[in-house]
Amino acid sequence: MPKTEMPSGALVLLILRVLRSGALHGYAIAQRIHVLSSEVLHVEEGALYPALQRILLKGWVTSEWGISETNRKVRFYRLTRAGRKQLEAELSDYGRVHEAIQSVLRTA
Amino acid sequence: MNQFFRRLRYLLNRRRFDQELADDMEFHGEMAARAGSANLGNTLRLREEAREAWGWVWLDRLSQDLRYAARMLRKSPGFTVTAVLMLAIGIGVNVAAFGFFDLIFLRPLRVRDPATLLRFHRRAPREGYAFSMPYPEMAFFREHSRTLSAVLALNPTKLVVEGEEKQLKTSFVTANFFTELGATAKLGRLLDPARDEAAGAEPVVVLNPAFWQRHFGADPSVIGKTIHLNGRPATVIGVAASEFSGLNLDDPALWLPINQEPYFAKGSHLLTDFSGDGGGVRMWGRLRPGLSPTAAEQELRSLAAELRKQYPTGVWENESLPSDPGGYAKSLIIGDRSGSGSEGRRDLYPVFAMLATLSLLILAVACGNLGSLLLARGVAREREIVIRIAIGAGRGRLIRQLFTESLVLALLGCTAGLAVGYLVLRSLMVFTEIPAWLNPSPDWRVMVFAIGMGFAAAILFGLTPALHAARRRHRASVARQFLVGAQVAASCVLLIVAGLLGRALTHAMSTNPGFEYQQVISIDPGLARHGYSPARAQAYLDTLQSRLRGLPGVESVSLAFSPPLGNRSEGVGLTVDGRALNVQINRVDPQFFQTMKIPLLRGRNLMRGDPHAIVISESLARGAWPGQDPLGKKFLGEDYTVVGIAGSARLVKLQDSDSVEVYFLIGTADLPSTSVLVKTSASPEDLARSVASTTEAVDPGTFPEVQLLKTGFRRKLRGAEASALTVSLLGVIAHLLACLGIVGVVAYAVSQRTKEIGIRMALGAQPGHVLSLVLRQFSGPVVAGLLAGVAGAAALSGLLRGELYGISNLDPITYLAAIAIFIFTVAVAALLPARRALRVDPLRALRYE
Repeated sequence: MPKTEMPSGALVLLILRVLRSGALHGYAIAQRIHVLSSEVLHVEEGALYPALQRILLKGWVTSEWGISETNRKVRFYRLTRAGRKQLEAELSDYGRVHEAIQSVLRTA
Repeated sequence: MNQFFRRLRYLLNRRRFDQELADDMEFHGEMAARAGSANLGNTLRLREEAREAWGWVWLDRLSQDLRYAARMLRKSPGFTVTAVLMLAIGIGVNVAAFGFFDLIFLRPLRVRDPATLLRFHRRAPREGYAFSMPYPEMAFFREHSRTLSAVLALNPTKLVVEGEEKQLKTSFVTANFFTELGATAKLGRLLDPARDEAAGAEPVVVLNPAFWQRHFGADPSVIGKTIHLNGRPATVIGVAASEFSGLNLDDPALWLPINQEPYFAKGSHLLTDFSGDGGGVRMWGRLRPGLSPTAAEQELRSLAAELRKQYPTGVWENESLPSDPGGYAKSLIIGDRSGSGSEGRRDLYPVFAMLATLSLLILAVACGNLGSLLLARGVAREREIVIRIAIGAGRGRLIRQLFTESLVLALLGCTAGLAVGYLVLRSLMVFTEIPAWLNPSPDWRVMVFAIGMGFAAAILFGLTPALHAARRRHRASVARQFLVGAQVAASCVLLIVAGLLGRALTHAMSTNPGFEYQQVISIDPGLARHGYSPARAQAYLDTLQSRLRGLPGVESVSLAFSPPLGNRSEGVGLTVDGRALNVQINRVDPQFFQTMKIPLLRGRNLMRGDPHAIVISESLARGAWPGQDPLGKKFLGEDYTVVGIAGSARLVKLQDSDSVEVYFLIGTADLPSTSVLVKTSASPEDLARSVASTTEAVDPGTFPEVQLLKTGFRRKLRGAEASALTVSLLGVIAHLLACLGIVGVVAYAVSQRTKEIGIRMALGAQPGHVLSLVLRQFSGPVVAGLLAGVAGAAALSGLLRGELYGISNLDPITYLAAIAIFIFTVAVAALLPARRALRVDPLRALRYE
């Protein structure tokens, strides 16, 4: 399985995006990104947790206690209002930049 | 909740957050293991990286560094004690010097609301300036001022106290003195404006606690007792609290209400006299809230103009009343000075500048030692550093760690330095006669200063070795050479300055100051204080002089307005061809030169009836008219003509070689304030008694003060002794430190090169060659330091010109002697450890490999 590194800005965007549909715990976030990217993207612990801490500090997510599928008490991360706003902003930014890059790649 | 508060919340709940993170990661690991990818990194490290997001990692590292530093310092107590001792000496000396400066210039007096207290003096274009003013003028201001809520006045004087041999310093003060300054009584009560200033009030006296202790043995039943002052009874009403500072730097024994002054000094016109001849008062004002000192100055100026309409002779033309902040000790140093021209109030600054430079030099030497010590230690710790780099410590982290160690040292040094500084200042204050209420314990300014010093030292001398150690580069020997040079220079300056002061002192004690002081008695009859008119004073002085001449052993009697070696001085600063001349004015009668044994070199003496003729000193002649004949020249305006040149004699400013003299004929108006000088061929101690009784007999209502000039001379020298002793002590400490430093670096150099020396000796190197091998690297810095030190001392000692009793600040004997001592001690300090190089056993040195 090839491991593709990604820039940390993109990781934040992905984390926020996968949390949009509901609260998840750390492992589930990594899994969800892995699965949704058709097993291309692999989120390392060493990148995930620092990114989560940064997002917590910014106030885009909050943490709450929940029960995991293995019946263990773990922390779930939930998107806040500020996080939702941030996600919208980043998505539209990303879209614009992506399109711009695409058009350069197509024409050049 | 914004980011800052989240960050703070994290800091406060750090343990919980960290535990949660650990749980998260543990769970992640479990799940990953289940999924079959057991890819666990270093969780501790991952956690630390995750924590970094919160921005508190530095705090953890700091506490880690501090713990580690403390452990390292504990592990090598020899190093720690030496380093802290160096810092304690270096910082301590500076703390003492700064503490003194702080006491005089920065720390407010311990009186109520010192910030609104103003000290006023008089100034006018024609008369010059005076720091005391006539009582009635002060009273006028007190009555009419709207900008000042209170006016305080003080008249310092001496009184004969029953049971005391000498006259004691006392202060007559306005009755609001204690209440305005917020003083409390230790015993009884203090002066009360309502009771003690009323008409017909009883004469009362407040005791200084020190006097109460000494004179009454701290007897609490003293309140209500009667004490005779100048032979007049007064009732003791109280003892002031020990911490009361008052407004004199020379602690008075007693405070009395000023309206009682005529009661104690028979015939005194102090309260009514505008001339100020009987001594005026020092005046302070309490500024009303919200007003500026300028407003008060403007008001007093217009009040003075108004008063001048009534008393044109009393108030000066265009008189202004400039103010100084009155709540600091420096405003008390001024005393009663008066003079024409500008106010030379900067007298103290050169002394402080000198003191500051010398103590900074000591710090430089101490820091130099510390630096070499740290450098050597850095090299010795190389192994440890290599290991730490090998297990993953970054360079920045390593520098921070080493630097933290220096900071911990600095903190210890600061604390020890504060203690040393306090002790030094305290013992200095016991040695000199500084009043007890000046409290030398450090205040926040001194603390900040000490901490600043300590940290500056740590940064300068801790960072470089830390950088070297972390880079593992051997620039250390260059740094070490520089440190040796700097130390040598600093200690050389101190040695030379100490030598100059010591030599000035021996010079002053052993050579003739240009006038006779051993055999002369001075008498201050204090006529002005008793309201003598010039005519009465003339009669009194004629009688006194003829009676004194009749005493056996008396050779000569004369009058002088400012008696030699006394506290009164009149001066004017002149600049001739860019050279500053400190002209001391004296008014004398024609017998003065004979009495003081000052030779008349050229021209003629002063003559009665010719008040426009003046005699100048040879030093003034040389300074004002170099290469010309001064006889017949006009001086200080068109009125005065130089008729004679006398030998140079620094009668007032013994220590200042720039001081020159001019003598006017004493006028009739000066007589009530004049002193009488008596030269005797017999023992002056024996004669003093009969001189005193003869003087008292002329007018039993007066209280003349009889003093031997010898005593005044010794008193003047005591200050010089104190400063010479202090600077010598500083010099010896600095030089000792520098020598210790040299011993240290040479010993280190030997131990570093043991192997090389062994090889050279095995190949047949001679002892001389081996020694030069070890010492060569230090000879350059030592010579450079010596040259820099001599140059620095030559420049710095210029500040001391006025204190050297006529010794040149470039005195070759002192310089040569200091350099000789210096070279000898440095050579010993270098050779002692270098001898170890000769005892190196080549076989053993080589076997180490």
